[in-house]
Amino acid sequence: MASREAQKQATRRRVLEAARDLFDEIGYDAATVRAIADRAGVSVGSVFTTFTSKDDILSQVMLDRLDALYGEIQNVTPHLRGSTADRVRSLFAVLYAFETRRVKLFLAHIAASYSWRNEPSTVPYGRNVRLRAMLAEGLRNGIERGDVREDADIDTLIDCLMAAYAWNYRLAAAQGASAETMTALMDKQIGLILEGAAPR
Amino acid sequence: MNHMPLRSISAVAQVRRPTQRALAKQRTREKILASAKNLFTEKGYEGATIRDIAAAAGMSTGAVFASFTDKSDLFNEIIAADRDALYGAMRAAAQGETAEEALLAMFAVGFEFHLDDLPLLQATIAASWSPQLGSQVRGRLAERPVTDLIAEVLKAAAGRGELSRTADVALLSQMLWDCYLANFRHVAFDTWGPDALQRRLREQIKVILASARTK
Repeated sequence: MASREAQKQATRRRVLEAARDLFDEIGYDAATVRAIADRAGVSVGSVFTTFTSKDDILSQVMLDRLDALYGEIQNVTPHLRGSTADRVRSLFAVLYAFETRRVKLFLAHIAASYSWRNEPSTVPYGRNVRLRAMLAEGLRNGIERGDVREDADIDTLIDCLMAAYAWNYRLAAAQGASAETMTALMDKQIGLILEGAAPR
Repeated sequence: MNHMPLRSISAVAQVRRPTQRALAKQRTREKILASAKNLFTEKGYEGATIRDIAAAAGMSTGAVFASFTDKSDLFNEIIAADRDALYGAMRAAAQGETAEEALLAMFAVGFEFHLDDLPLLQATIAASWSPQLGSQVRGRLAERPVTDLIAEVLKAAAGRGELSRTADVALLSQMLWDCYLANFRHVAFDTWGPDALQRRLREQIKVILASARTK
Protein backbone atom coordinates (compact mmCIF):
# COMPACT_ATOMS: atom_id res chain seq x y z
CA MET A 1 0.00 0.00 0.00
CA ALA A 2 1.29 3.39 -0.96
CA SER A 3 2.24 5.61 1.91
CA ARG A 4 0.16 8.60 2.69
CA GLU A 5 2.88 10.90 1.50
CA ALA A 6 3.16 9.05 -1.83
CA GLN A 7 -0.60 9.32 -2.30
CA LYS A 8 -0.48 13.02 -1.58
CA GLN A 9 2.28 13.46 -4.14
CA ALA A 10 0.30 11.51 -6.74
CA THR A 11 -2.76 13.72 -6.14
CA ARG A 12 -0.62 16.81 -6.40
CA ARG A 13 0.81 15.68 -9.73
CA ARG A 14 -2.60 14.78 -11.14
CA VAL A 15 -4.09 18.12 -10.08
CA LEU A 16 -1.20 20.07 -11.62
CA GLU A 17 -1.47 18.22 -14.93
CA ALA A 18 -5.25 18.65 -15.07
CA ALA A 19 -4.96 22.34 -14.22
CA ARG A 20 -2.20 22.95 -16.78
CA ASP A 21 -4.35 21.43 -19.54
CA LEU A 22 -7.61 23.11 -18.49
CA PHE A 23 -6.07 26.58 -18.07
CA ASP A 24 -4.70 26.27 -21.58
CA GLU A 25 -7.83 24.79 -23.16
CA ILE A 26 -10.59 26.94 -21.68
CA GLY A 27 -8.71 29.77 -19.96
CA TYR A 28 -7.97 30.51 -16.33
CA ASP A 29 -11.30 32.06 -15.38
CA ALA A 30 -13.43 29.32 -16.85
CA ALA A 31 -11.34 26.56 -15.23
CA THR A 32 -12.91 26.24 -11.78
CA VAL A 33 -11.32 24.24 -8.97
CA ARG A 34 -14.23 21.82 -9.31
CA ALA A 35 -13.51 21.32 -13.02
CA ILE A 36 -9.83 20.77 -12.24
CA ALA A 37 -10.71 18.22 -9.53
CA ASP A 38 -13.07 16.38 -11.92
CA ARG A 39 -10.44 16.21 -14.62
CA ALA A 40 -7.83 14.96 -12.16
CA GLY A 41 -10.25 12.39 -10.78
CA VAL A 42 -9.96 13.65 -7.21
CA SER A 43 -12.33 15.41 -4.83
CA VAL A 44 -12.44 19.19 -4.45
CA GLY A 45 -11.56 18.66 -0.79
CA SER A 46 -8.37 16.82 -1.60
CA VAL A 47 -7.30 19.64 -3.96
CA PHE A 48 -7.49 21.99 -1.01
CA THR A 49 -5.41 19.74 1.23
CA THR A 50 -2.48 20.39 -1.13
CA PHE A 51 -3.20 23.88 -2.55
CA THR A 52 -4.58 26.98 -0.90
CA SER A 53 -6.35 28.45 -3.96
CA LYS A 54 -6.61 28.40 -7.75
CA ASP A 55 -3.92 31.11 -7.87
CA ASP A 56 -1.68 28.81 -5.87
CA ILE A 57 -2.31 25.96 -8.35
CA LEU A 58 -1.41 28.23 -11.29
CA SER A 59 1.74 29.35 -9.52
CA GLN A 60 2.82 25.73 -8.90
CA VAL A 61 2.02 24.70 -12.49
CA MET A 62 4.28 27.47 -13.75
CA LEU A 63 7.06 26.78 -11.25
CA ASP A 64 7.22 23.12 -12.29
CA ARG A 65 7.17 23.99 -16.00
CA LEU A 66 9.73 26.71 -15.72
CA ASP A 67 12.11 24.81 -13.46
CA ALA A 68 12.50 22.16 -16.14
CA LEU A 69 12.91 24.79 -18.86
CA TYR A 70 15.40 26.89 -16.92
CA GLY A 71 17.45 23.77 -16.26
CA GLU A 72 17.72 23.23 -20.00
CA ILE A 73 18.58 26.87 -20.65
CA GLN A 74 21.31 26.78 -18.03
CA ASN A 75 22.86 23.84 -19.85
CA VAL A 76 22.86 25.76 -23.10
CA THR A 77 24.04 29.21 -21.96
CA PRO A 78 27.76 28.32 -21.59
CA HIS A 79 27.77 27.45 -25.29
CA LEU A 80 26.22 30.72 -26.47
CA ARG A 81 28.44 33.00 -28.52
CA GLY A 82 28.34 36.60 -29.69
CA SER A 83 27.50 39.90 -28.05
CA THR A 84 25.54 40.18 -24.82
CA ALA A 85 22.52 41.30 -26.86
CA ASP A 86 22.74 38.18 -29.02
CA ARG A 87 23.04 35.91 -26.00
CA VAL A 88 20.03 37.54 -24.35
CA ARG A 89 18.16 37.18 -27.67
CA SER A 90 18.86 33.45 -27.72
CA LEU A 91 17.47 33.10 -24.22
CA PHE A 92 14.21 34.93 -24.94
CA ALA A 93 13.77 33.09 -28.25
CA VAL A 94 13.77 29.82 -26.28
CA LEU A 95 11.19 31.25 -23.86
CA TYR A 96 8.85 32.36 -26.65
CA ALA A 97 9.14 29.01 -28.42
CA PHE A 98 8.33 27.22 -25.18
CA GLU A 99 5.48 29.39 -23.87
CA THR A 100 3.59 29.74 -27.14
CA ARG A 101 2.95 26.00 -27.02
CA ARG A 102 0.51 26.72 -24.20
CA VAL A 103 -0.17 30.37 -24.74
CA LYS A 104 -3.39 30.74 -22.73
CA LEU A 105 -1.63 29.27 -19.74
CA PHE A 106 1.10 31.87 -20.01
CA LEU A 107 -1.41 34.71 -20.48
CA ALA A 108 -3.03 33.62 -17.20
CA HIS A 109 0.41 33.64 -15.58
CA ILE A 110 1.03 37.24 -16.69
CA ALA A 111 -2.46 38.35 -15.63
CA ALA A 112 -1.91 36.81 -12.18
CA SER A 113 1.28 38.82 -11.75
CA TYR A 114 -0.85 41.94 -11.37
CA SER A 115 -2.99 40.43 -8.63
CA TRP A 116 -3.01 42.39 -5.41
CA ARG A 117 -4.39 39.39 -3.55
CA ASN A 118 -1.53 36.96 -4.03
CA GLU A 119 -0.50 34.79 -1.13
CA PRO A 120 3.13 34.61 -0.07
CA SER A 121 3.49 31.13 -1.61
CA THR A 122 2.64 32.25 -5.16
CA VAL A 123 5.44 33.06 -7.59
CA PRO A 124 3.95 35.23 -10.35
CA TYR A 125 5.59 36.24 -13.62
CA GLY A 126 8.57 38.50 -13.05
CA ARG A 127 9.32 37.03 -9.63
CA ASN A 128 10.97 33.80 -10.66
CA VAL A 129 14.40 34.09 -9.07
CA ARG A 130 16.01 31.63 -11.47
CA LEU A 131 15.11 33.63 -14.58
CA ARG A 132 16.19 36.87 -12.96
CA ALA A 133 19.44 35.25 -11.83
CA MET A 134 20.16 33.93 -15.34
CA LEU A 135 19.57 37.35 -16.86
CA ALA A 136 21.66 39.04 -14.18
CA GLU A 137 24.52 36.63 -14.85
CA GLY A 138 24.30 37.26 -18.59
CA LEU A 139 24.40 41.02 -18.05
CA ARG A 140 27.27 40.86 -15.56
CA ASN A 141 29.22 38.75 -18.03
CA GLY A 142 28.51 41.56 -20.48
CA ILE A 143 30.22 44.00 -18.12
CA GLU A 144 33.30 41.74 -18.07
CA ARG A 145 33.15 41.38 -21.84
CA GLY A 146 33.00 45.15 -22.10
CA ASP A 147 29.71 45.64 -24.00
CA VAL A 148 27.67 46.54 -20.91
CA ARG A 149 28.55 49.64 -18.90
CA GLU A 150 30.20 48.97 -15.54
CA ASP A 151 27.72 51.09 -13.59
CA ALA A 152 24.66 49.75 -15.43
CA ASP A 153 21.73 49.10 -13.08
CA ILE A 154 21.19 45.38 -13.62
CA ASP A 155 17.76 45.32 -11.94
CA THR A 156 16.50 48.13 -14.17
CA LEU A 157 17.73 46.34 -17.29
CA ILE A 158 16.06 43.09 -16.23
CA ASP A 159 12.80 44.94 -15.56
CA CYS A 160 12.95 46.54 -19.03
CA LEU A 161 13.61 43.18 -20.69
CA MET A 162 10.92 41.35 -18.78
CA ALA A 163 8.33 44.09 -19.35
CA ALA A 164 8.94 43.92 -23.11
CA TYR A 165 8.92 40.11 -23.10
CA ALA A 166 5.59 39.83 -21.27
CA TRP A 167 3.71 42.64 -22.97
CA ASN A 168 4.67 41.37 -26.42
CA TYR A 169 2.22 38.56 -25.65
CA ARG A 170 -0.52 41.11 -26.30
CA LEU A 171 0.17 40.26 -29.96
CA ALA A 172 -0.48 36.60 -29.18
CA ALA A 173 -3.65 37.44 -27.25
CA ALA A 174 -5.03 39.85 -29.85
CA GLN A 175 -3.87 38.40 -33.15
CA GLY A 176 -2.59 34.92 -32.34
CA ALA A 177 0.97 36.05 -33.17
CA SER A 178 3.54 33.25 -33.44
CA ALA A 179 6.72 32.77 -31.44
CA GLU A 180 8.68 33.97 -34.50
CA THR A 181 6.75 37.26 -34.70
CA MET A 182 7.23 38.02 -31.02
CA THR A 183 10.89 36.94 -31.11
CA ALA A 184 11.57 39.28 -34.03
CA LEU A 185 10.06 42.19 -32.10
CA MET A 186 11.91 41.21 -28.94
CA ASP A 187 15.20 41.09 -30.87
CA LYS A 188 14.75 44.78 -31.71
CA GLN A 189 13.79 45.66 -28.14
CA ILE A 190 16.79 43.82 -26.71
CA GLY A 191 18.97 45.73 -29.17
CA LEU A 192 17.61 49.06 -27.93
CA ILE A 193 17.86 48.18 -24.25
CA LEU A 194 21.44 46.93 -24.49
CA GLU A 195 22.45 49.88 -26.61
CA GLY A 196 21.13 51.97 -23.73
CA ALA A 197 23.40 50.03 -21.37
CA ALA A 198 26.50 50.10 -23.58
CA PRO A 199 29.66 51.89 -22.39
CA ARG A 200 29.71 55.51 -23.50
CA MET B 1 -18.53 70.04 -36.46
CA ASN B 2 -16.52 67.63 -34.37
CA HIS B 3 -15.33 69.91 -31.63
CA MET B 4 -18.45 71.46 -30.19
CA PRO B 5 -17.53 73.54 -27.14
CA LEU B 6 -18.98 72.23 -23.89
CA ARG B 7 -21.05 75.34 -23.30
CA SER B 8 -22.97 74.97 -26.51
CA ILE B 9 -23.66 71.32 -25.75
CA SER B 10 -25.24 72.24 -22.45
CA ALA B 11 -27.20 75.00 -24.21
CA VAL B 12 -28.63 72.44 -26.61
CA ALA B 13 -29.40 70.16 -23.69
CA GLN B 14 -31.34 72.95 -22.01
CA VAL B 15 -33.42 73.60 -25.07
CA ARG B 16 -34.31 69.95 -25.47
CA ARG B 17 -35.24 69.31 -21.90
CA PRO B 18 -35.07 65.60 -21.10
CA THR B 19 -38.26 63.88 -20.11
CA GLN B 20 -38.80 62.61 -16.58
CA ARG B 21 -38.43 59.09 -17.87
CA ALA B 22 -35.07 59.82 -19.50
CA LEU B 23 -33.85 61.42 -16.29
CA ALA B 24 -34.95 58.42 -14.22
CA LYS B 25 -33.21 56.12 -16.66
CA GLN B 26 -30.02 58.15 -16.39
CA ARG B 27 -30.14 58.02 -12.59
CA THR B 28 -30.62 54.25 -12.70
CA ARG B 29 -27.60 53.88 -14.99
CA GLU B 30 -25.44 55.96 -12.69
CA LYS B 31 -26.52 53.96 -9.66
CA ILE B 32 -25.71 50.69 -11.40
CA LEU B 33 -22.32 51.98 -12.58
CA ALA B 34 -21.39 53.12 -9.06
CA SER B 35 -22.32 49.80 -7.50
CA ALA B 36 -20.60 47.85 -10.31
CA LYS B 37 -17.40 49.86 -9.89
CA ASN B 38 -17.35 49.05 -6.18
CA LEU B 39 -17.90 45.36 -6.77
CA PHE B 40 -15.37 45.03 -9.61
CA THR B 41 -12.87 46.79 -7.36
CA GLU B 42 -13.65 44.50 -4.46
CA LYS B 43 -14.04 41.15 -6.24
CA GLY B 44 -12.44 41.53 -9.65
CA TYR B 45 -14.21 41.04 -12.95
CA GLU B 46 -14.99 37.35 -12.56
CA GLY B 47 -15.92 37.57 -8.91
CA ALA B 48 -18.57 40.27 -9.30
CA THR B 49 -21.91 38.92 -10.52
CA ILE B 50 -24.79 40.90 -12.04
CA ARG B 51 -26.90 39.64 -9.13
CA ASP B 52 -24.49 41.20 -6.59
CA ILE B 53 -24.33 44.42 -8.57
CA ALA B 54 -28.12 44.67 -8.77
CA ALA B 55 -28.50 43.91 -5.06
CA ALA B 56 -25.93 46.55 -4.11
CA ALA B 57 -27.73 49.11 -6.28
CA GLY B 58 -31.03 48.15 -4.67
CA MET B 59 -32.71 46.90 -7.83
CA SER B 60 -33.58 43.75 -9.74
CA THR B 61 -31.24 42.02 -12.19
CA GLY B 62 -33.88 42.78 -14.83
CA ALA B 63 -33.43 46.49 -14.20
CA VAL B 64 -29.67 46.11 -14.72
CA PHE B 65 -30.20 44.30 -18.01
CA ALA B 66 -32.56 47.06 -19.14
CA SER B 67 -29.61 49.47 -19.02
CA PHE B 68 -26.67 47.23 -19.98
CA THR B 69 -26.52 44.25 -22.29
CA ASP B 70 -24.24 42.19 -20.06
CA LYS B 71 -21.45 42.30 -17.50
CA SER B 72 -18.74 43.07 -20.05
CA ASP B 73 -20.79 46.03 -21.32
CA LEU B 74 -20.95 47.36 -17.77
CA PHE B 75 -17.25 46.79 -17.17
CA ASN B 76 -16.27 48.44 -20.45
CA GLU B 77 -18.38 51.48 -19.61
CA ILE B 78 -16.57 51.87 -16.28
CA ILE B 79 -13.06 51.56 -17.65
CA ALA B 80 -13.93 53.83 -20.58
CA ALA B 81 -15.03 56.59 -18.19
CA ASP B 82 -11.83 56.20 -16.14
CA ARG B 83 -9.68 56.06 -19.22
CA ASP B 84 -11.07 59.32 -20.63
CA ALA B 85 -10.53 61.18 -17.36
CA LEU B 86 -7.00 59.80 -16.98
CA TYR B 87 -6.07 60.43 -20.60
CA GLY B 88 -7.00 64.10 -20.27
CA ALA B 89 -5.03 64.48 -17.04
CA MET B 90 -1.96 62.73 -18.49
CA ARG B 91 -2.02 64.86 -21.61
CA ALA B 92 -2.19 68.03 -19.55
CA ALA B 93 0.71 66.87 -17.36
CA ALA B 94 3.05 65.88 -20.21
CA GLN B 95 5.16 69.04 -19.97
CA GLY B 96 8.85 69.48 -19.40
CA GLU B 97 12.10 70.73 -20.87
CA THR B 98 13.22 67.23 -21.80
CA ALA B 99 11.41 64.11 -22.94
CA GLU B 100 12.42 62.45 -19.68
CA GLU B 101 10.83 65.19 -17.57
CA ALA B 102 7.64 65.30 -19.65
CA LEU B 103 7.26 61.52 -19.53
CA LEU B 104 7.88 61.34 -15.79
CA ALA B 105 5.32 64.08 -15.14
CA MET B 106 2.80 62.28 -17.31
CA PHE B 107 3.39 58.87 -15.72
CA ALA B 108 3.27 60.40 -12.23
CA VAL B 109 -0.34 61.37 -12.93
CA GLY B 110 -1.05 57.81 -14.04
CA PHE B 111 0.57 56.26 -10.97
CA GLU B 112 -1.30 58.57 -8.64
CA PHE B 113 -4.59 57.87 -10.38
CA HIS B 114 -4.22 54.11 -10.15
CA LEU B 115 -2.68 53.96 -6.69
CA ASP B 116 -6.07 55.04 -5.34
CA ASP B 117 -7.80 52.25 -7.16
CA LEU B 118 -5.36 49.39 -7.61
CA PRO B 119 -7.86 46.50 -7.59
CA LEU B 120 -9.75 48.07 -10.48
CA LEU B 121 -6.51 48.46 -12.45
CA GLN B 122 -5.72 44.85 -11.67
CA ALA B 123 -9.18 43.75 -12.84
CA THR B 124 -8.65 45.71 -16.06
CA ILE B 125 -5.20 44.28 -16.76
CA ALA B 126 -6.33 40.75 -15.89
CA ALA B 127 -9.38 41.17 -18.14
CA SER B 128 -7.21 42.42 -21.01
CA TRP B 129 -5.29 39.10 -20.92
CA SER B 130 -8.45 37.01 -20.72
CA PRO B 131 -9.31 35.16 -23.93
CA GLN B 132 -13.05 35.84 -23.49
CA LEU B 133 -13.19 39.45 -22.46
CA GLY B 134 -9.82 40.46 -23.79
CA SER B 135 -10.67 41.68 -27.27
CA GLN B 136 -13.40 44.01 -26.02
CA VAL B 137 -11.33 45.48 -23.23
CA ARG B 138 -8.32 45.87 -25.48
CA GLY B 139 -10.53 47.50 -28.10
CA ARG B 140 -11.86 49.98 -25.57
CA LEU B 141 -8.41 50.74 -24.19
CA ALA B 142 -7.03 51.13 -27.69
CA GLU B 143 -9.46 53.92 -28.56
CA ARG B 144 -7.27 56.49 -26.87
CA PRO B 145 -3.92 54.82 -26.40
CA VAL B 146 -1.50 56.47 -24.02
CA THR B 147 1.24 55.25 -26.37
CA ASP B 148 0.06 58.05 -28.70
CA LEU B 149 0.69 60.60 -25.94
CA ILE B 150 4.16 59.14 -25.37
CA ALA B 151 4.82 59.29 -29.10
CA GLU B 152 3.86 62.99 -29.13
CA VAL B 153 6.39 63.70 -26.38
CA LEU B 154 9.09 61.82 -28.29
CA LYS B 155 8.28 63.54 -31.58
CA ALA B 156 8.47 66.94 -29.87
CA ALA B 157 11.88 65.93 -28.50
CA ALA B 158 12.99 64.93 -31.99
CA GLY B 159 11.76 68.31 -33.23
CA ARG B 160 13.96 70.05 -30.61
CA GLY B 161 16.94 67.94 -31.64
CA GLU B 162 17.05 66.09 -28.33
CA LEU B 163 16.26 62.77 -30.00
CA SER B 164 17.21 61.55 -33.44
CA ARG B 165 14.67 62.14 -36.20
CA THR B 166 15.16 58.58 -37.37
CA ALA B 167 14.29 57.07 -33.97
CA ASP B 168 11.62 54.36 -34.07
CA VAL B 169 9.05 56.37 -32.12
CA ALA B 170 6.34 53.69 -32.22
CA LEU B 171 8.64 51.02 -30.81
CA LEU B 172 10.09 53.31 -28.14
CA SER B 173 6.61 54.45 -27.06
CA GLN B 174 5.42 50.89 -26.72
CA MET B 175 8.47 49.91 -24.65
CA LEU B 176 8.04 52.85 -22.30
CA TRP B 177 4.37 52.01 -21.85
CA ASP B 178 5.24 48.35 -21.16
CA CYS B 179 7.68 49.41 -18.43
CA TYR B 180 5.15 51.77 -16.89
CA LEU B 181 2.53 49.00 -16.70
CA ALA B 182 4.99 46.35 -15.53
CA ASN B 183 6.18 48.59 -12.69
CA PHE B 184 2.79 48.31 -11.01
CA ARG B 185 3.85 44.80 -10.03
CA HIS B 186 6.35 46.36 -7.65
CA VAL B 187 3.37 47.99 -5.95
CA ALA B 188 1.70 44.61 -5.58
CA PHE B 189 4.71 42.68 -4.38
CA ASP B 190 7.28 45.11 -3.01
CA THR B 191 4.86 47.71 -1.62
CA TRP B 192 6.58 50.43 -3.65
CA GLY B 193 5.12 53.91 -3.38
CA PRO B 194 5.07 56.67 -6.02
CA ASP B 195 8.66 57.78 -5.29
CA ALA B 196 10.21 54.35 -5.75
CA LEU B 197 8.14 53.85 -8.92
CA GLN B 198 9.33 57.17 -10.34
CA ARG B 199 12.97 56.38 -9.56
CA ARG B 200 12.81 53.04 -11.38
CA LEU B 201 10.93 54.57 -14.30
CA ARG B 202 13.48 57.38 -14.63
CA GLU B 203 16.23 54.77 -15.02
CA GLN B 204 14.16 52.84 -17.53
CA ILE B 205 13.47 55.96 -19.60
CA LYS B 206 17.22 56.71 -19.64
CA VAL B 207 18.01 53.18 -20.87
CA ILE B 208 15.25 53.06 -23.49
CA LEU B 209 15.88 56.54 -24.90
CA ALA B 210 19.69 56.27 -24.83
CA SER B 211 19.95 54.72 -28.29
CA ALA B 212 17.78 57.49 -29.78
CA ARG B 213 19.78 60.41 -28.35
CA THR B 214 21.44 62.66 -30.83
CA LYS B 215 24.72 62.63 -28.93
